[in-house]
Amino acid sequence: MTDGFNPTAVWVFTAFIVASLLVTWWAAVKTRSAGDFYTAGGKITDLQNGLALAGDFMSAATFLGLTGLAFMGGGDALLFAIGGTVGWAVILFIFADRLRNLGRYTFADVVAFRLHPEQLRILAAVGTLIVAIPYLIAQMVGAGGLFQALFDLPYGLAVLIVGTLMTVYVTFGGMLATTWVQVIKAVLLLTGGTALAVMALLPFGFDMNEMFSRAAEIHPIGERILGPGGLYQDPVSVISLALAFIGGTAGLPHVLMRFFTVPDARQARKSIGYAVTFIGYFMGLTVIIGFAAIVLLAGETQYLDADGRIAGGANMTAVYLARQTGGDAFFGFISAVAFATILAVVSGILLSASASVAHDLYARVFCRGDVSDRREMIVSRVATIAIGAIAIGLSILFRNLNIGVISALVLAIAASVNFPVLILALFWPGLTTRGALVGGSTGLVVVILLTVLSPTIWVSVLGHEKAIYPYAYPTLFSMMAAFGVTMAVSMADRSQRAAVDRAAYPAQLVRSELGQPA
Amino acid sequence: MNERGKLLDDADFRRLLQRRSRLRWWLAGFLIAAYVGYGLAGLYAPALLAASLPGSSITWGIALGYGIIILGIACSIGYVWQVNRIIAPLQKKIAGEWR
Repeated sequence: MTDGFNPTAVWVFTAFIVASLLVTWWAAVKTRSAGDFYTAGGKITDLQNGLALAGDFMSAATFLGLTGLAFMGGGDALLFAIGGTVGWAVILFIFADRLRNLGRYTFADVVAFRLHPEQLRILAAVGTLIVAIPYLIAQMVGAGGLFQALFDLPYGLAVLIVGTLMTVYVTFGGMLATTWVQVIKAVLLLTGGTALAVMALLPFGFDMNEMFSRAAEIHPIGERILGPGGLYQDPVSVISLALAFIGGTAGLPHVLMRFFTVPDARQARKSIGYAVTFIGYFMGLTVIIGFAAIVLLAGETQYLDADGRIAGGANMTAVYLARQTGGDAFFGFISAVAFATILAVVSGILLSASASVAHDLYARVFCRGDVSDRREMIVSRVATIAIGAIAIGLSILFRNLNIGVISALVLAIAASVNFPVLILALFWPGLTTRGALVGGSTGLVVVILLTVLSPTIWVSVLGHEKAIYPYAYPTLFSMMAAFGVTMAVSMADRSQRAAVDRAAYPAQLVRSELGQPA
Repeated sequence: MNERGKLLDDADFRRLLQRRSRLRWWLAGFLIAAYVGYGLAGLYAPALLAASLPGSSITWGIALGYGIIILGIACSIGYVWQVNRIIAPLQKKIAGEWR
């Protein structure tokens, strides 16, 4: 679909870039301390933060990928939509209050609260960077491919535009700019998604029954499109997928960082309540859009490639549906919104990575906390530029990266390293420093090992005949390994440090419930 | 004003902890069970989820799927409301008494 110039797309996209740069300029003036840089001084309101959190989750991959999945596999997409909603609700119940009460800038503050501060920060920084950098690259590679397909933009140029803009937002505007860019995008995406759903249901007179029955008539697999499909292979994969959604989302550093941008636990709670509502609404909508596309794109050969498949892959379903229902203007609008989505998401990830380097590694570990606020801010900006440049370089180098595999792996790592350590630090008095270090590393090793041995890499990439680990997803075993090893090592730990770790739990418990003393 | 160190023996604080953890783990367990149950139903009884609702082309799988999404939103709103209404005042009371 390379018709080139689309005035609406250019207008909407230019307007977004101008608005986001104005926001960045305004935020840069207000960003004066490290606290401003990492958490916008804790002055974001609950609704703003709710939109920003939802925006972090509603990436282009979620929007375009889920529409494509519903278009191809129908009912299967619902398993993802439920996972997103349930995962976020569980984060609200388990993490919202305690995390806000214990942390300041990053989730490492929380795990280092009673455990050995330097050692735990190193573990948390590894957990952050090993999630954030591949995730960043996967998003940027996706952006490059998408804009090649949409606007005929050369791949490298698209990556360079996305990478430069995100680096500018974060370096100058810190969390304040990152949040507002995310809020603007979330509003655009919720509006665009709603408009697309309305346009898609209009031909059916908003009769869902009619829409689903037509979809079943038209789709090559017929009625089966409305039931469970290929995603349901075996219990290990189904449960792993569920655990990856719940623990993975709750272990994403850029999501956890947003808990600290609101003034107190009450606002943190409300903001995640908003986020769950937006996410549930949006994901439910996306599945409907995908089903409607089955009917509305049927027989429209201009969207197919030579093999009779959707040109550019199933991810293009949503944008083609926009063109089919609303013409070039609507197509341009949805495309621009998709670009804005990627920009906003990569900015948040970049900020979490640079906060981890500057705050956790430099200020807390390397300087042992003995560093001026000014210096820490300079380091965080230098780190932002460096990580931004590395991400641009790697995205251009690895343009054929399998984005789906990397995204799934990142979520599995977050669920098998960050999540177990964090939840045990918060709720289990027996956790010790040694247990967290050994258990967290075990989770990381197991998740990478199982992924390499699984069919996706062992067979598809390395060309072996048969996978050693037969399941598609590793999370069930890697998460259990992390929990099991952490708990076993902690219980066997007789060191002096272990006694300190355990003895500090009551003070942490009080602080996690009541917040800082007045 | 009392020392925070002795707070763990305070009856109000114990009640606060108990109420919070009951709310937290029951709601989380309930939603996770619904989600995993839905996935396992799709695996072991696909015919059940593929069956249509009476007089409609919409299947049980689609209806239940959307049902769980709505349930997740409802539980979240209920949680925030419950904590703000019952637990937050208790926290405020304790925080005022203990420094």
